[in-house]
Amino acid sequence: MSAPAGDPDASPVRVLVADDDADIRDLVEFKLTQAGYAVEAVPDGISAWEAFAANPPQLAVLDVMMPGLSGIDVLRKIRESEFSSVPVLLLSAKSRDSDVDTGFAVGADDYVIKPFSPRELLHRVNGMLARAR
Amino acid sequence: MIVGAALLVGATVVILGACVLLIIAVVAVRARRHSRNQRDEMLLSPLRQPLITVAAGEDDDGTAAEELTWATGVSRTVLDRNIAEMLTKVRGVPAEQLVHVLEVHGAVDAAVDDLTSRSTVKRARAAQLLGLARAERTVPLLVEALGDESVEVRNSAAYALGLIGDPVAAGPVLAAIGAPERGLPAATAAEALQSMGVGISGVLRDGMADPNARTRMVAAHLSGERSFTRGLPELRRLLDFDPDLTVRETSAVAIGRLGRGEDVGILVSHTASSEPLALRRACVVALGELGETEAIPALVLLLGDADPRLAELAATALLTMGPDGRHALAGHDDEPAVRTARLLASLQKASA
Repeated sequence: MSAPAGDPDASPVRVLVADDDADIRDLVEFKLTQAGYAVEAVPDGISAWEAFAANPPQLAVLDVMMPGLSGIDVLRKIRESEFSSVPVLLLSAKSRDSDVDTGFAVGADDYVIKPFSPRELLHRVNGMLARAR
Repeated sequence: MIVGAALLVGATVVILGACVLLIIAVVAVRARRHSRNQRDEMLLSPLRQPLITVAAGEDDDGTAAEELTWATGVSRTVLDRNIAEMLTKVRGVPAEQLVHVLEVHGAVDAAVDDLTSRSTVKRARAAQLLGLARAERTVPLLVEALGDESVEVRNSAAYALGLIGDPVAAGPVLAAIGAPERGLPAATAAEALQSMGVGISGVLRDGMADPNARTRMVAAHLSGERSFTRGLPELRRLLDFDPDLTVRETSAVAIGRLGRGEDVGILVSHTASSEPLALRRACVVALGELGETEAIPALVLLLGDADPRLAELAATALLTMGPDGRHALAGHDDEPAVRTARLLASLQKASA
């Protein structure tokens, strides 16, 4: 899988991954790490917001249904923060049109429904970062 | 007096004893589950990385998948359970590779055998696994399982057929809703049918003529959800003549989703005060969803309806109809229905 574009000497692009499901957290972390990203993976919404606020990443992948703060709550906080332009991809089993509408209305840049293709997820992450540059 | 006190003490002791036994049982079950989870984690630990590698789609040379196929004994059972769980999370090539591991382990064949097990749990799990493995060859067996004596197995079979997505199963799933005594819950059937693609439109059309009201309701609902416009004549007929009120309401909503300008008349006719209130409300919502400006005069008249909820729905429908609808509300701003609809719309906008 191709590495993220950019200067090979530059530090890797940082991505925050938040999901309470260890399988998904691990496989997304592995997929993105293999592609050359520096991934910080956390298991809940509160940790996600703390990690984001402490060291804002260049992109965040958030599960929607998480304990503490939901992905939507975290996204809302991100959009209200001084780093509101960080691209956010929501990853969720909630597949109804209204769920997707809510995600985009709150400010998601993309919405991927579980079960998902890890390859497609990587393409979307690459595309979002390319557009953000 | 003494006898009464002794009885009270005795009863208290019995109740306390029962409570203690219950607590011990709960603790024992939890401890057993915890220790089983720990054992499973330990057994899976050496296979965790290859499993993640395959699931992430990073096993280009197939070595990780091959490593998974080597698992034996209890490790294999635990791994297969985890693979089944992983199949609810990933799709595409990784899912195909994981299914291949299950097949090599014989888990798919075992599930076929388990479909006729005496254990309800085994039958239900077997049906689920066959669905997750997208085992198309087992569709006839899963269709048979739709008539299982246990509702859990029937649910699992419908879920599995939905995952496999073969429209061949659409007829049996729809028919299973109305099966006497061994019926399938309407929501489960609807969810399974949702996954079966456009090939089910004919089955849904036929389903709208089924003698069972729940079957007609699901067929009407899905025709609207999936925008199967060829079902419109049947939906109009159900709205006009069906003996079941829920079927009529569902048909109205479906017409709102996929209808045309010519459907304004039929929907407006069922907002008449002689119609059941639930149907009137459904038709007003459908008119808003349809968004045809021909409905505006009828909706304006309903702003003064005796039912405040219906009046509010009419105002909401007008608000969603763009400039023409909003213009029609001018002069009605003081009406409670309009004020409520405006407030709800602004709250929805703020919370979005």
